[in-house]
Amino acid sequence: MNTTIKHMAIAGIFFLSTSSYAACGKVTITEMNWASASVVTEVAKFLMEEGYGCDVTKVPSASVPALASVAETGEPDILTELWVSGTPSFNELEAAGKVTALTAVLSDGGVEGWWIPQYTVDAHPELATLEGVLANPDLLDGLFHQCPEGWYCKTINSNLMTASGFVEAGFEVFEHGSGETMATSIAAAFANNDPWLGYYWAPTSILGKYPMQMVDLGEFDADAHTCNTKSDCAAPKVSPYPSSRVITAVTSKFAANNPEVTELMKNLSFTNRQMGEVLAWKEDNNASGEEAAVYFLNSNKEVWASWLNDDARSKLSALLQ
Amino acid sequence: MAFYDDIFNIFGLRDWCNEKTSDVPMSMSELLAKTRGESVTASAEVFPFPSLDNLNKACSAMPRTREMTAGVEDGFLNIKDSLKVVLDPITQPLSWFLDGALYVFTSIPWFILIPMLILSAWYVSRSLSVTILVAFTFLGFGFIDHLNVAIQTLSIVFVCSTICVLFGVPIAILMSKSNAFERVTIPILDLLQTLPSFVYLIPLIFLFSITESKLYGIAIILYAIVPVIRLTNLGIRLVDKDVIEAANAFGMSNRQKLLGVEIPLALPNIMAGINQTIMMSLSMVVIASLVSAPGLGVLVLRGIRNLELGVGLIAGLGIVLLAVVLDRTSKGALTRINKSQHQDK
Repeated sequence: MNTTIKHMAIAGIFFLSTSSYAACGKVTITEMNWASASVVTEVAKFLMEEGYGCDVTKVPSASVPALASVAETGEPDILTELWVSGTPSFNELEAAGKVTALTAVLSDGGVEGWWIPQYTVDAHPELATLEGVLANPDLLDGLFHQCPEGWYCKTINSNLMTASGFVEAGFEVFEHGSGETMATSIAAAFANNDPWLGYYWAPTSILGKYPMQMVDLGEFDADAHTCNTKSDCAAPKVSPYPSSRVITAVTSKFAANNPEVTELMKNLSFTNRQMGEVLAWKEDNNASGEEAAVYFLNSNKEVWASWLNDDARSKLSALLQ
Repeated sequence: MAFYDDIFNIFGLRDWCNEKTSDVPMSMSELLAKTRGESVTASAEVFPFPSLDNLNKACSAMPRTREMTAGVEDGFLNIKDSLKVVLDPITQPLSWFLDGALYVFTSIPWFILIPMLILSAWYVSRSLSVTILVAFTFLGFGFIDHLNVAIQTLSIVFVCSTICVLFGVPIAILMSKSNAFERVTIPILDLLQTLPSFVYLIPLIFLFSITESKLYGIAIILYAIVPVIRLTNLGIRLVDKDVIEAANAFGMSNRQKLLGVEIPLALPNIMAGINQTIMMSLSMVVIASLVSAPGLGVLVLRGIRNLELGVGLIAGLGIVLLAVVLDRTSKGALTRINKSQHQDK
């Protein structure tokens, strides 16, 4: 009795693994809760389903919960648009051999920093540098929009502000409660033509829609930045954010079982210019992430054609012509 | 060729339709059809619902649903300046109360604050067990270095519940006196209880500065004011008709009847409403923290975001403990009132 069940189970596992070789099978992929990520996920889903015959399920997520889920359950199979700089647990998982980093899905990396609306900088060009900002708190309402509690950028910003003497210069630091209120405060500032100074990152639909300029924080200093990421940094020094690694990763099990799809995900990568254009189109047309993905697939055929293998390219030939 | 083409043609609206060319973004299903070499219309529904999107396919002058929602947004942005002139000054005292209470509560040293809380718990409930519970809770918060955040949460709940009672009870009295007013108010109360807070909080950021504490004050009050209104209204309406008749026979004026008969008899219900209002303002603290309310909610959010499970659990249990304390204290007051009323009889 016991052995029959075992045999059946083994047969079942064998059957499942062979079928996934042949027809890709079921794939789970994260859909992170920001605009560029939903475009990446939709494009990947389309190519996997139409080119490789996969049965794709999207899993709504964010960087930290997605990694926790992989650590505990080995699912979802594909993690995409993972901002690694904010998730130290990724390095542990990679070292433990649970996930494999495939590629920088945003090939230029993510841009993080302190931003000021373009119209404010146009009116007061001196605000483009940190010195100018520190000298003119009244031009910026004396307010710095700080990341919410629990975001890694909060620590870095606090250290940068300690190092540059922000509070002494007359700035008040306002800690947001969530990313939604940060985004809304930018939109509200633009609606009223008010100044705004705070942390944000690109590519995002917010920075696609509202033109802003990054404050120049000087030369990047790797040691200073590493210290700034720690809340107990003894001597914070001013250093801009490095461009952060934004990657696609797969579970090691998935990479072994689905080499073809893994190869596709390795090739799937956007430049910031491509992604910025798609996001700007998305904002202009009030479009959904899915429609933005369709827009990308229609307007950048030669880009994604180069990601596919020959078999998939022939399956999608109707669209590529 | 879309399904509703003919309808627009019959009414002679074709010219009007063609005045505007719409460029509808291609949908995923259209792309899939194209990939698989199927024609799009073949896969279309036989009899599509005459929705804005489907009508737009036949007549580009019809707005699509997303243009309708964009219209709502534009409408709001257009009236926001005049709304701001009205709403900003009216709600400003709320910011002052919240900031003031936060300042007062957090600047009192612990060796005055904790005895003060214990004494007020005794004064309100007159129950030894409740007083001991309060003492242990706040000493426990202090022991694990959570006293300050717990006090921040408590001061927010204190200000918001007080304002809820100050506004809720008069509204409820009006409701109990006028059936027409009740008919108007009840749907509004239903709306307040169900409308997701962020739906109105995000537009409010366009009206007020994001740094104003009234943002979370409004979120808490709009949600927590409902039970005190409902139960006070119910309590007054449930006062025995015979008692009212007796009061009339004594020639009591309306004011005397309200203050001397109806409110005292409705007091158990009113207190139950206040108890629920306190509980509901406490249940909003995490959502309030999403719009920058300080206190235990911030720690819960940090726990969720960084997967610091311990931080989240301790802060969450802290909220529960505060709720138990506030519930027992206000229930203690309720039992006291009930007892004194039974003694009267």
